[in-house]
Amino acid sequence: MKNLIVPIIAFMALISSCAKDKGNYDYNPKEEVEVKGIATSYTVISEKENLVINPEVTSTDPSAQLEYLWGIYETNVQGYAPKLDTLAKTKNLNYAVKQAAKGWVLVYRVTNKKTGYAQHFKSDINVVTEFTRGWYVAKDDGSQADLDLFLTPTNIIPNGKRENIYSTINGAKAPGKVNMLSFLSSYKSNVTGVNGNTRTLFLVTDKDIAATYVNTLRKIKDFNSIFIGTPSVKSPSALFVSGTAYYLVNDGQVHSIYNMGSNFGQFSARIMKDANNTNYNLSKYFLPGIPGLVDPYLFDEITSSFVSMSQGSGPMAVVGDDATTTLPASNNNQKLLYMGTKSMGYPAAPGIVGTLGYAIFQDKTNPAIKNLAEISGYSGFKLKIIQTPLTVADKLYNATMHTLLFGDESMMYFVVGNEIWSRNLANKFEKLEFTLPAGEELTFMRHKKATETGYAYNYVMIGSKVGANYKVRMFSKSSGSLNATPDFTLEGTGIAREAIYISPAASESTHNPSF
Amino acid sequence: MKNLKYILAALATVAFFACKQDQYYLYNDIARLQFGPEPSRIYTTSYNLADTLKMYTFYYEDASIKQDTVFFDIYAIGGTKNTDRAFTLRQDQIANATNAISGTHFVPFNDPKVAKHYVIKAGTVHTRVPIIILRDPSLKTTTPKLKFSIVADGSFSLGEPSNIWRKLEFTDRLSQPSSWNAHFTQYYFGKYSVTKHAFLINTTGDKWDSIFIDEMYAGGNLIDYYRTVAKTALINYNAANPTAPLKDEFGDLIVFP
Repeated sequence: MKNLIVPIIAFMALISSCAKDKGNYDYNPKEEVEVKGIATSYTVISEKENLVINPEVTSTDPSAQLEYLWGIYETNVQGYAPKLDTLAKTKNLNYAVKQAAKGWVLVYRVTNKKTGYAQHFKSDINVVTEFTRGWYVAKDDGSQADLDLFLTPTNIIPNGKRENIYSTINGAKAPGKVNMLSFLSSYKSNVTGVNGNTRTLFLVTDKDIAATYVNTLRKIKDFNSIFIGTPSVKSPSALFVSGTAYYLVNDGQVHSIYNMGSNFGQFSARIMKDANNTNYNLSKYFLPGIPGLVDPYLFDEITSSFVSMSQGSGPMAVVGDDATTTLPASNNNQKLLYMGTKSMGYPAAPGIVGTLGYAIFQDKTNPAIKNLAEISGYSGFKLKIIQTPLTVADKLYNATMHTLLFGDESMMYFVVGNEIWSRNLANKFEKLEFTLPAGEELTFMRHKKATETGYAYNYVMIGSKVGANYKVRMFSKSSGSLNATPDFTLEGTGIAREAIYISPAASESTHNPSF
Repeated sequence: MKNLKYILAALATVAFFACKQDQYYLYNDIARLQFGPEPSRIYTTSYNLADTLKMYTFYYEDASIKQDTVFFDIYAIGGTKNTDRAFTLRQDQIANATNAISGTHFVPFNDPKVAKHYVIKAGTVHTRVPIIILRDPSLKTTTPKLKFSIVADGSFSLGEPSNIWRKLEFTDRLSQPSSWNAHFTQYYFGKYSVTKHAFLINTTGDKWDSIFIDEMYAGGNLIDYYRTVAKTALINYNAANPTAPLKDEFGDLIVFP
């Protein structure tokens, strides 16, 4: 009996280990719902356009009874859980978009009522406004500034205009005369509810800075809120990106935001020149560096010296000279009449990243001496400046306004009287390109280009004043010379000082910020 | 076989004594009382011992301010009751330290002015414990320490040993804020000195206490802004006083790294 104990226990264990299979196996093929006709992404204008999608839906279940649901939820949310808002319960979608301009996700759920089987399909929705694409003209009447927006719904040629759009939306014009119109795509603000990248247009006047959120054109900061400690003198002249910082020049003093670190879109304290806090006064002209890579070069008018700074922090770096330079970067006794950027990348010295610019210098001791200078600004705070003397026989000698063909032909455009001339920077050939009609006065000249599909442009923009109105002629060019007539002309009231094209594809490296 | 018996007996004994009751108490334990972090931090483990020590200075306050209140958070364990439950605190003397004097530096714990607040209200498990500190003239030259702990009484037994006491240091002088720690010293503003602290306060108009320093850390590029402001002000001060550059109370030149 004793010997049977073990077999009995084993037998009982064996019995209890068996259980009847009550599985509910289904040997039918797996149900699949297929949807065609939904793109991976859509861009729609809020409060203006409808999101229209007519998908083709099929199911592997021939007797399927399908029901539908369209929903939308927002992306880049912090601090709360995104909520799916139902847009429609129909097969097709025709929805008047009202959402805020930002990234959203559209969800299409198809459910087989008979089996309960549901499948979800997603699509990115980029909600924009009519402000997120078009030509912006910064203008003033001598004491107050505003923006005009020229809409470009189908291509780069304007079709529609929103005059005085800044003051219309914000209730007042910005004080002062326009100095610059600048665009940053990664400027930080909490305009969407969280501190994050904000596509921002900066209307910089000689008395204020109006930082506006491009999606709504609402002002998000002004001079009194854009600094951590507001400077006592309001005289901003430039706002731009270089290397890993944003720079703001006010009253000849430079402030920065290190844009690779945490910040709330406020500029820090004035950067000191050196360990003795020596006075300086920066020119309005500057040589921006490549975003993310190269620091900028600025020019101190007191000491006639180029200065720079690493990652937006002071004190400023002493700029050294390349062995072949013909003008020292420091204490060169020059007055800077003009400086702009020709290209960014590998200027003059292959393998060394930097910025190529040109400048017009006038000798402080003998003002009759003027030079055209080619400036190669390298990373590592070193300049190569090669000067070419200008004589009174050169039209460029008496020029009052200049610009460069950024990233294009090696030419400088300049203004003498009401004539626009070009100068070939390689062979010094000067050519009359355009003469303003009588009664017009030139107000600005810039070269802008971008390569966005369907919206590519490459224009020399010539702004003029005609009585109380402005004209901005947009010239295409051939081999560096202006075509006989502009492709189109932007017209409005006031004095145009700057124009810029903004689109969802534009980033802060799209536009050359220098003059 | 005999040896095996002894070995097994020894193992059982060791195993028995290897077990030790965890010092944490369960919510449904008897009524106990202990200090803790502010309510929003009670489920954040790293804050379990926060606020063990608080520091305070009357330095920033107007001369007319003769007393102030520092609060500590206290929690009941063992559930709520439908009646108010008073609790008792006592001062603990710290060896080799300047201990705060009851009635001179702080309102005694049995004074009705404060004792009436030492109550866990019916239906609750938390309250803020007010410690009223007095601006005695001696605070101009000393920084007394007040250590106090919970006394077991008819309402409450003691909670976790590490959380039944709190410490408060207070003075009427500038003193090193808790947040001016090794990290703040090494990477931002250098060695602490009262002279440097006063210079920063005079330069910026801010308190430069722990709250201000913590706000600087949280404020994006605020800390870089204040470093630049401090450096600029120091350079300007030394330039204006070429024969007497700013030195701290130890005779060392003040620098901002």
